[in-house]
Amino acid sequence: MRVIIRENVLEASEYIADYIISRIKSFKPTENQPFVLGLPTGSSPEIIYKTLVRHHRAGDISFKNVVTFNMDEYVGLPRDHPESYHSFMYKHFFSHVDIPPQNIHILDGNAPDLAAECASFEAKIARYGGIELFLGGVGPDGHIAFNEPGSSLSSRTRVKTLAYDTILANSRFFGGDLDKVPRMALTVGIQTVMEAREVVIVATGAHKALAVEKGLEGGVNHMWTLSALQLHQHPLIVCDRDATLELKVKTVRYFEAIEQSGTDARTQGPPLVYRPRTYVPAPVGVSKFHQQPTPASTPPRVPKDLKINTQLNQTMDEEELTPDSMSSRMVDSAISGLDSTLKGDMMFDRMGTRVISH
Amino acid sequence: MPGKTTTLPRITKFTNCRIIRGNELVEQDVWIDSLSGKILRDQEAFYELHISPDEVIDLDGRILAPGLIDVQLNGAQGFDFSVPKSSKEEYDEGLRIVNKGLARTGVTSYLPTVVSSAPEVYWKVLPSLGPSGPKHRAEDGAESLGAHVEGPFISPGRNGIHKTEVLQATEEFEDVIQCYGKANISGDSKTVKMITAAPEIGSMVNHIPSLAAQGIIYSIGHSDASYEQAMNATKQGATMITHLFNAMRPFYHRNPGIFGLLGQNERPRPFYGVIADGIHLHPTSIRIAYNAHPDGLILVTDAMKLCGLPDGVYDWTNGERIVKSGARLTLEGSDKIAGSSATLIECVNNFRRWSNASTAEALNAVTATPARLLGLEGVKGTLESGADADLIVLTDALDPYSGPTLTVDQVWKRGVKIYDSGKAAVNNQL
Repeated sequence: MRVIIRENVLEASEYIADYIISRIKSFKPTENQPFVLGLPTGSSPEIIYKTLVRHHRAGDISFKNVVTFNMDEYVGLPRDHPESYHSFMYKHFFSHVDIPPQNIHILDGNAPDLAAECASFEAKIARYGGIELFLGGVGPDGHIAFNEPGSSLSSRTRVKTLAYDTILANSRFFGGDLDKVPRMALTVGIQTVMEAREVVIVATGAHKALAVEKGLEGGVNHMWTLSALQLHQHPLIVCDRDATLELKVKTVRYFEAIEQSGTDARTQGPPLVYRPRTYVPAPVGVSKFHQQPTPASTPPRVPKDLKINTQLNQTMDEEELTPDSMSSRMVDSAISGLDSTLKGDMMFDRMGTRVISH
Repeated sequence: MPGKTTTLPRITKFTNCRIIRGNELVEQDVWIDSLSGKILRDQEAFYELHISPDEVIDLDGRILAPGLIDVQLNGAQGFDFSVPKSSKEEYDEGLRIVNKGLARTGVTSYLPTVVSSAPEVYWKVLPSLGPSGPKHRAEDGAESLGAHVEGPFISPGRNGIHKTEVLQATEEFEDVIQCYGKANISGDSKTVKMITAAPEIGSMVNHIPSLAAQGIIYSIGHSDASYEQAMNATKQGATMITHLFNAMRPFYHRNPGIFGLLGQNERPRPFYGVIADGIHLHPTSIRIAYNAHPDGLILVTDAMKLCGLPDGVYDWTNGERIVKSGARLTLEGSDKIAGSSATLIECVNNFRRWSNASTAEALNAVTATPARLLGLEGVKGTLESGADADLIVLTDALDPYSGPTLTVDQVWKRGVKIYDSGKAAVNNQL
């Protein structure tokens, strides 16, 4: 795991933008060998896009030979709705750079067959030989893309029901009306992200601190899907100072020392390998068989009743339990760290324990 | 790709520019399509049709505004809409020159205005002044949105410089039809868009509903109407006041007259034209009207053919003569103001300096507001997608003598650039 800490949001965003630009440049993409980039939406990425656009305007970088795949999109929201992720991407990035429209891939939340849409999205990624760099944000509950807490760590692109917290949080974009917030989204899975050659996560602000702590210092856990990156070969997390508030001082110093010792993350990425662009059939259909190895003799023990049945999910057997997101279980969700500290159960090393030991 | 065969770029994207949204300027790109002559639904075109711009124009922070609309303009370039020529061809030729000249000042659509005239004059000139419609080509310049007939059903006491001999008072609606010609004020190919008339003269107030039913805007003007008479006219369907304060009974505290319409809450307040040339009105009068009813203010030039010509004495209609000294035009032998010689953008600049209106608000008074009056919302006076791609590029600079000043750098008509002041835009510097 590489972790880069910057003093504020702007510096962190600047770092990521520079990083992406340097990765694209050293890749030397061509029309036949484009750089495949995974992209998120959200407030932290917005600043990164702004920075990328500025560099593009200054002539530092071209996106002509970049192919993009977006992480997620709401289901049932018109494509040109101002809150759709199509609109977000167009407004903040695509309309300002020279990326050819045909290089852009965003899940179609209005597809007649959503499962097929997800499968074809995975197939398209496979056809490009996989994603070179997946940029992502992280939710206060540690989710990446719409992989809410409890999502399978081997999930792929699929329909997800949004956690109630997420709907509440997003209602501010829909005039405060809960009924207007889409209930479902299409999202890449954790496995989709994990298969990218490199994953870069931006985490800024104090409200992300607990997620960073759980993702970095905790164990791999589906309740904090960010933690799955511990198993990735080339993850990079870029934080601002506030997002490190819940980390151990030791952890922070360790990562800072790594950076200070001159091992710049920009030189530590995965080797830029060019995989042959062979067509790999969508893994979604395949996993259907893998997931059902249970012998017929023990069906009552399979906790099938935990499944949420959405009618739209015809072909995928991957539906997962979507509980309330983690933050709803914390006493106070605004600065969740404080309350959990008071409760004591989240404290990693309380001062009291050290006093007694002396 | 279609469109690549023509020499013109098909899709043009303006970037690094400020556009009007509501009452402020915001930074936003605008995409236009020279083939359809419309502003593109760009996000849809991008995702659905995979269209990317053929040309990118970096406006370097300048303002991109909708083309200006003048709803009261008597002529320009030495051509007077109210003076018939010996043949229709000759008249139309003069009109073409006006349209081209007008476009260079940033006015991309307007209502050619005919002053009080004898019926024969209307019959002759109106067929040439109707809406240009879809047959209008970009290179023709400004387009007519229909004629504005100012008179002859006006008050003899508030005639301004309109010749009293030709003034009329209606008895029947037939008189109105007879005066302008049936084909000009009814049917699909009618040429008149707006009528200025005094509601208190003859039976005019009774004819307002018939005119409104034809889609013709009735504007109260050149009138001695009392407040009550003016209110009654709005009840009948009048939606506009022609050059507020000028050629009407002045505001009097016991009877506020036509001006009172801007203060009442009984009926929707009408739109009103204002000549902000610095001669027709005191800046404070404009500010009072604007504060009373900001959404209705429409800046008009009321300019006439002498606009742009040197000082001197010039022949006018009906054998009278006009003295031009600077921007001031007066009827020979009197102090009566004879129209204006200001351009619309000059009026916008004056208005912005005098009223404390924001740049966007001042520009709305010559774009969005007149479009609303004319029922052309979403078509003219806006940069919303789907609207006609009539655009102007403006520089906002501080003039050492007159203060903040907008100047017209470029004019685009239906998606094609038809004027460039020479301040070269930086191309393809996305």
